Amino acid sequence: MELNTTITIDESRSVARVSLAGALNTDTAPDFDQELQKVVAQGLDLTVLDMKELDYISSAGLRVIFKAAKQTKAAGHRMAAANRKPHIDKVFEILKALPDMAVFANDQELDDYLDTMQSKVRDD
Amino acid sequence: MSNSISSRLIALLSLSLALIFGLGLLVDYHLSRDEILARLQTESRETIRSAIIDLENWLDGVEGSTLFLARILEQRDYTHAGLEQMLKDIVENNEDIYGATIALNPDLADSPQGFAPYYYHREGILTYSDLAADDYRYSQQPWFSDAVSAAKPIWVEPYFDRGGGEILMTTFAVPVFRIEKNSQRSLYAVVTADVALDELHNYLRRLRLGESGFATLLSREGIIISGRNPQNHMRHYSEALLDELDINTWQDMFRSVLAGQAVTRRLECPEVSGKCVLRLDALQSTGWPIGVRYSEREITAPLREYQMKTAVTGLVTLMLMSLAVYLITRRLTRPLTALALASDNIAKGNLDTPLPSVRGDDELARLVNSFGAMKRDLKSYIADLETATASRSRLAGELAAAREIQMSLLPLGGEAFEQQPDYQLWARVRPAKSVGGDLYTYLQSDSRLFIAVGDVSDKGVPAALFMAKAISLLQQFIAAGDSPEYAIAKLNNALESGNDNCMFVTLFLGVLDLASGQLEFASAGHTPPSLLRDDNVTILSQQDGPAIGLSPDLRFPSNTYQLQAGDRLAIYTDGIDEAFNERAQMFGVQRFNEELAGTSSMPLDGAGEQLFKRVDDFAGATPQSDDITLLLLQLPLQDHGAKTATHSSQKAQRAFTAGTPLAGRVIEWLEQALHEWEIAMEPQMEMVLIAEEIVTNIEKYGEIPDNSDVLVQLDRIGSSLTMEFNDQGKAYNPLHEGHRSTLGADIESAEIGGLGVHLIVKLSDEQHYLHDGKSNILRIVKSLDANGD
Repeated sequence: MELNTTITIDESRSVARVSLAGALNTDTAPDFDQELQKVVAQGLDLTVLDMKELDYISSAGLRVIFKAAKQTKAAGHRMAAANRKPHIDKVFEILKALPDMAVFANDQELDDYLDTMQSKVRDD
Repeated sequence: MSNSISSRLIALLSLSLALIFGLGLLVDYHLSRDEILARLQTESRETIRSAIIDLENWLDGVEGSTLFLARILEQRDYTHAGLEQMLKDIVENNEDIYGATIALNPDLADSPQGFAPYYYHREGILTYSDLAADDYRYSQQPWFSDAVSAAKPIWVEPYFDRGGGEILMTTFAVPVFRIEKNSQRSLYAVVTADVALDELHNYLRRLRLGESGFATLLSREGIIISGRNPQNHMRHYSEALLDELDINTWQDMFRSVLAGQAVTRRLECPEVSGKCVLRLDALQSTGWPIGVRYSEREITAPLREYQMKTAVTGLVTLMLMSLAVYLITRRLTRPLTALALASDNIAKGNLDTPLPSVRGDDELARLVNSFGAMKRDLKSYIADLETATASRSRLAGELAAAREIQMSLLPLGGEAFEQQPDYQLWARVRPAKSVGGDLYTYLQSDSRLFIAVGDVSDKGVPAALFMAKAISLLQQFIAAGDSPEYAIAKLNNALESGNDNCMFVTLFLGVLDLASGQLEFASAGHTPPSLLRDDNVTILSQQDGPAIGLSPDLRFPSNTYQLQAGDRLAIYTDGIDEAFNERAQMFGVQRFNEELAGTSSMPLDGAGEQLFKRVDDFAGATPQSDDITLLLLQLPLQDHGAKTATHSSQKAQRAFTAGTPLAGRVIEWLEQALHEWEIAMEPQMEMVLIAEEIVTNIEKYGEIPDNSDVLVQLDRIGSSLTMEFNDQGKAYNPLHEGHRSTLGADIESAEIGGLGVHLIVKLSDEQHYLHDGKSNILRIVKSLDANGD
């Protein structure tokens, strides 16, 4: 199975949205690692991994995400996972992969979060 | 206390005493009452009588003196001075006489006024008065004229003696006649003696009976001489009475009395409540009616006083008796109360409660002593019971520990389920008691699988100890790789030596060549195994030897049987076929074989469970009488390669040549196979994930030789998916030797594949690893039923 990645950068809000579609497994993980590293390197405030279309994830794929989450946290930024399907969620659960990441169940929660962040920035 | 014996005793005794005593008092009262009443009546009669007698005596005295004087004057003549002197002497010496006169017939007197000297006690002083004064005219006074006309002594009606004594008085007048020479009687004088009515009052006052009683003295004419009310003195009685009815009564009584008949009447008291007695009699001398009235109540006052005294005495006595009863009862029952309290305490378990101290040898003392003995017995009994209970629970604990130890002697603790590529094995021992004498064991050594099922004679602890010895030796001989008949012979000799209790073992011991399916076995008097093949059950024919442990140096025949793919072999102990139900029927070999045939479509563990359940259902409420052991051995349907599909099992397998991207190729094949088998999305994805993680691990750490194959086999048996990976790499079990990461730790320390091991374990139900000398075999089982882990 293939993995298609779409990256959208919203520089005004300093948010990157990485949409994953297909399977993130041993075969597709290395390429995704490279793409995600590029996004992380931009140093945006928030990187959202949109997993709405992600059907499959293995430990190789999770390693890539963990690594990136750790890097963004070290840089004082945040990484979030959104729209996880139940069986993807189960894999996350088993590997206790949540500590460094925010989790959004759906787009609405994500938008609310972004709005809150935005208003915080304005208040500052 | 209200329910206590003492209070009931006090109440009953007091009541009884009150009744008895009250009855006694009542009888005594009635007897005494009549007596007292009679005495009181007598007393009142006596009082009246003596007063009347006194009065009579007094009046008799007055009459006597007067008559004496009159008699003298009949005989002799005296000078005036002599008469006066005589008169004076009489009055002076006679206190009873108020005054006295000698009134001469005026015709015989010297002066026309006549001669009538009068001496009287005027306010206690003897005084002289001359009644012959002009204004008195004594000859016309009733006392003179009446006496003369009566010609005999009379008592004059009471009158006020104006010009004479000047008081109310009555007079005894005696006419003195003298016989003349012509024998004519002529009046000489009238001699009188006056009695002051006040004196009469004083006499009559003595007749008072009781508080309201009084006496009345009437004249013959009915004039009240003396009565209760001084205002009525000198009035006719009819004027003093208010009530007409009274008047009639009085007139009747008055008439009767004048006729000489005493009258007694009972009538309502006018002044006080109750009845009064009125008694009317007449004085003998004067003929004056004298009446006495008294209240019965007042007369009987002493009786009522007596009643009151009796009642008070009775009450006080009763109270004293009650007090005595109370004290005595309390004294008697105090130990009983204390004993009741103590026994309550004892019943609560305080066996050290002291009992009341008693003296003597009465019933209570014996009761308390019996209680004491009972308490001691109870104490020692409880102590014994505690000891017995403690030792029993200790024994139970020891037996439980012994059971654990015994079960640990059996592979997988008495309940085994092995799923190997070449065979499946399920076995279970269930002792009838805590511990038992049944045993099974198995051991795979290269391509040989040893299986043994045995049954020690008897059951319980002796059988368990003998079983422990037998299985230890057996496992030792099997490990040495001896042939079954030789191993049994060795075991026989080892068990026989020193077996003074003559315990023995029946044993089935076989060795299966996993490659060829050939079963070589020997039996020491054990039930022959049953074989399920193509839905049919047959009993393996066997040549067996005797049970072992009884005599040395026995030889056992060797049997050989060729098993086929899909064969299911059942080896069991007589606990199954000799299980009894409530109607004393035996389960039997035939029934067992039928049940075994019924398990042909079941997975092996399900089959084992079902057979146990069938035996239990058959036995019903009958307790298990013997240890039960069942060992099931299942050969795979196909040895290698070809795929055989049945309605309940599917199989797929493929060899992948080593080299990247191995994971991708395996996943692609696996997804397709699972899709074809119509496995649900989620387990399908999880199986793919497991496969990817395993292949990643094997690839990275397994050191697979180039151009060698990694064999992947997928089985579906019922609702269970089995995935097996077979590679030629070095001996490597990713489950144990894998570089498993610590979850939640620093992600960079997690090595590739290290996270995957968690996923393999969590997402599958069973994981088995085996290295058969040539290849690594990793088998994963996932149940399709239970998705919710």
